Amino acid sequence: MRWHRLENRIVALFIVLILLVQLAGFVAIRKAIDENARASIRDELVIGERVFLRLLEQNADKLTQGARLLASDFGFRQAIGTDDRGTITSVLENHGARIGSTLSMLIGTDQKIKASTQDYPSADLQRSSLELVAKAAETNGASDTVIVDDSLFQIVAVPVRAPVTIGWVVMGFPVDQKLISDMRALSSLQLSVMVSTRGGQWQQDVSTLPKEEAGMLLGQLPQQFSASSFIPQLKIGDNDYSARLLVLAKGASNQSAVAVLQRSISEAVAPYRRLQLILLTISVIGVAMAIFASAFVARRITSPLRSLADIAKRLGAGDYRARIDIKGGDEIGKLAEAFESMRTGIANRELEIRRLAYWDPLTDLPNRVQFATLLNAAIERAKASHGQCHILMMDLDRFQHVNDVLGHSFGDSLLREVGRRLELQLERENDKVARLGGDEYAILLPATDATEAIRQAKRILQSLEMPISIGDQTVDLGAGIGIAGYPENGQNSDTLLSSAEVAMYVAKRRGSGFTLYDPSIDKSSQESLSLLSELRRALDRNEFLLYAQPKVELATGKVVGAEALVRWVHPEKGFIGPDNFIPFAETTGFIRMLTSWMLNKAAVLCAELQKKGITLKFSVNLSTRDLLDQDLPMLFADILARNQLSPSSMCLEITESAIMDDPIRAQLTLERLHGMGVELAIDDFGTGYSSLAYLKRLPVDELKIDKSFVMNMEHDADDAKIVKSTIDLGHNLGLRVVAEGLETLAVWNLLRQMGCDQAQGYYMSKPMPGDRFAEWLEQWKAPEMPGQSENVAI
Amino acid sequence: MFKGAVVLTALVAVADGTFAAPAAAATVTVQVLDVTGAPVPNAVVYAEPTGGQAVPKSLKQAEIEQKDIRFFPLVSVVQAGTPVLFPNHDKVRHHVYSFSSAKTFELKLYSGVPTSPIVFDKVGTVVLGCNIHDQMVAYLQVVNTPYFAKTDMSGNARLEGLANGKYALKAWYFKMAPNEAATEQPLTYQGADVAASVKLAVKAVPVQ
Repeated sequence: MRWHRLENRIVALFIVLILLVQLAGFVAIRKAIDENARASIRDELVIGERVFLRLLEQNADKLTQGARLLASDFGFRQAIGTDDRGTITSVLENHGARIGSTLSMLIGTDQKIKASTQDYPSADLQRSSLELVAKAAETNGASDTVIVDDSLFQIVAVPVRAPVTIGWVVMGFPVDQKLISDMRALSSLQLSVMVSTRGGQWQQDVSTLPKEEAGMLLGQLPQQFSASSFIPQLKIGDNDYSARLLVLAKGASNQSAVAVLQRSISEAVAPYRRLQLILLTISVIGVAMAIFASAFVARRITSPLRSLADIAKRLGAGDYRARIDIKGGDEIGKLAEAFESMRTGIANRELEIRRLAYWDPLTDLPNRVQFATLLNAAIERAKASHGQCHILMMDLDRFQHVNDVLGHSFGDSLLREVGRRLELQLERENDKVARLGGDEYAILLPATDATEAIRQAKRILQSLEMPISIGDQTVDLGAGIGIAGYPENGQNSDTLLSSAEVAMYVAKRRGSGFTLYDPSIDKSSQESLSLLSELRRALDRNEFLLYAQPKVELATGKVVGAEALVRWVHPEKGFIGPDNFIPFAETTGFIRMLTSWMLNKAAVLCAELQKKGITLKFSVNLSTRDLLDQDLPMLFADILARNQLSPSSMCLEITESAIMDDPIRAQLTLERLHGMGVELAIDDFGTGYSSLAYLKRLPVDELKIDKSFVMNMEHDADDAKIVKSTIDLGHNLGLRVVAEGLETLAVWNLLRQMGCDQAQGYYMSKPMPGDRFAEWLEQWKAPEMPGQSENVAI
Repeated sequence: MFKGAVVLTALVAVADGTFAAPAAAATVTVQVLDVTGAPVPNAVVYAEPTGGQAVPKSLKQAEIEQKDIRFFPLVSVVQAGTPVLFPNHDKVRHHVYSFSSAKTFELKLYSGVPTSPIVFDKVGTVVLGCNIHDQMVAYLQVVNTPYFAKTDMSGNARLEGLANGKYALKAWYFKMAPNEAATEQPLTYQGADVAASVKLAVKAVPVQ
């Protein structure tokens, strides 16, 4: 029996309780029975004593009647009157035999025995008879119980009247077996008559007990007792008795005769014992029923609990399949219902979590995590079969732009459509498409070699050549695909994925559609990493230099501003041009630190020049990332304040594409900067895709025409037209127009004639170190300005 | 009982008449007392001559009747040789008997007056019974003298007509033991009144 089981404890409790109750009842009943039995034995013995005495009395009465009949016989009296001894004796014998006396005597009024049926009656009998006659002299007869020769006798004496008393008839009977047997028949008592001998020893006279038991009884009688006494416990043989001693006669020489009435205790208790047995049986049955009932009840409680515990354990282990099928309106039923709803709830939630964890909610394709798992499994299989597997990683071209222009919901639909197309291109069941995030997809090709992977990549690229129509919009999409394979390019999913990514970037950079990973590519990516750390170090070691290129007013030739530019002087590699590190800085986010550095340096230079009395508007370029930085306006305000510059002494230049990456946030930042009073310029105007409507809404002050148009305008009429119309456009929008790439005086003049406000370029100066700018200003001489009326090409 | 006492007186008177002496007669008055000193009625007192005087015979028939299932009188005294009649005045029959040594007889079931009386010719006490009515008992004292009387309610008896001479004055009472002899004391009669007193060893029973 295991104690910690609820079932066993319930059963044990029930059993202990019922046993206690039964035991208490049993003890109480047993005690009551015992007391009852003993009381009834005592009563029975008292009644038995009365019955026995009454029996003796009746016997004596019967004897008396017989004797009296004899005494009144006329012939007998005549014989006595005539003293006819022979006749007297024969009448005594005749009557004695008739009523069964063993002795009949006639005693004369002189107290002498006149006649007797025994020739020599015992001395005891003679004495007793004479005593009885003396006692009966005044009455009409008497009887007594006496001891005669160690036996118990009943004797009676009645007078013979003729009509006065002329003698006494005395008759004697032994108290014999018949009387005792009558007594036994009347009651359930055992009866023994014991007579003490002259020596004081008890001796049995008659008894209803078997001889040997009566013998045993003799030994247990007390030697001395006065009157009737009760003996609660007597053991004779195997039986227990209660007994009552009744003194019947006291003879000469201290002789006594007693009747011992015995009641067998076991007989008296027997009916109660049967009752107890029945009670015991009922108890046993009750306990058994209690065990079964409590076990049943306990099981009804505990077995659902056990199965609930099992199910809870299985739920804990993540097995949600087992239905909880316990019915009932009771607490357990309700608990089971609660468990069931918990089970389905957890199962559903886990399904949802699993879905979120392993599936891309947008496209319903596996996500990066699941893809990594699938890839690992494929690698394991390939490892086991000494085979290989490949993955393709694909990134859409210009997706960001499409998203920006056509909206996010369009972008989402596009991503779903691309997912569908990719899935359609899969040729084998085990091939899987996953969306890794953004516009990045991955395709798992288990048990595939490089040739097959390339073929698959081509198929995919081909499928994307077909324009995608969503609603009433149609877009052309291109993509770059990187291919990496186990075991050549990596031993696990992480390395394979990063290899594929590197290859993909290479493909996108090259515009070549797909690229198979090559360790040499990886080398360049290693270089990229080291470049980033070198850039950080450069900032710390002050390896960057601020350069400035002057901006002049075309109408007057006066220097009105400067564009601040950055140069890197590497301690080992020497001079590094901005084209070599600015794009990298932009992709890694380092550009923000660089911009901050630029703003600082430009502000310092601007303030220095102002102290020398030279007021110039310094321009600094902002990148896309700068525009997305919400802290930029505050940072910039801080810098201006530190250098005691007004916001209008600085101008910030932004490229069209920088704005177009996230037009809403860009506009927000630009509006905040404009609100501060900072002037804003659009850099490289004419190379991007900006919509004029959008341009109109931007809070800009200046347009900078890209140098590619300006440099050739002298010889290319188209470029000149573009420049002219751009200048007009800017002016029409109320903007200042600045031309970049002014390299000859002729262009200067052309631009001046076109109405362009300002220009910068090698004609005036290449970008120069900031600390030499003041020096340059001193030697700057504006060219001779021809008249305003000079011919204009356009 | 009053009625019984009257009859007794009459009976004594009969005896007196029988033995009426020639000259003036003196009386022997005897008082019988019991062991407690109380007077004993119904005791029989008689004087037997011891001086060899001539004793007259007075053998007039006596009666002991049965009435109301009783003998009456309870105690009678007669001189030896007197016939006694036992008339039955009850409606039931009686069986009168005696086993006494003075006279053993029986009158088997009879009613009315028997044809012949029983003659009691032997001195002694005759106890009379009825075999079918155990409670009936009567005593007849048969004496050897004509001088006898029964005590009255005050325990006194008068003997009259005695001849001068010596007597043994005897007294008997029915409650005395069956074989006990009558008390005896000497008496000398000289023609003058004599008073004597007898003391019994038994206790007197009231007259029924």
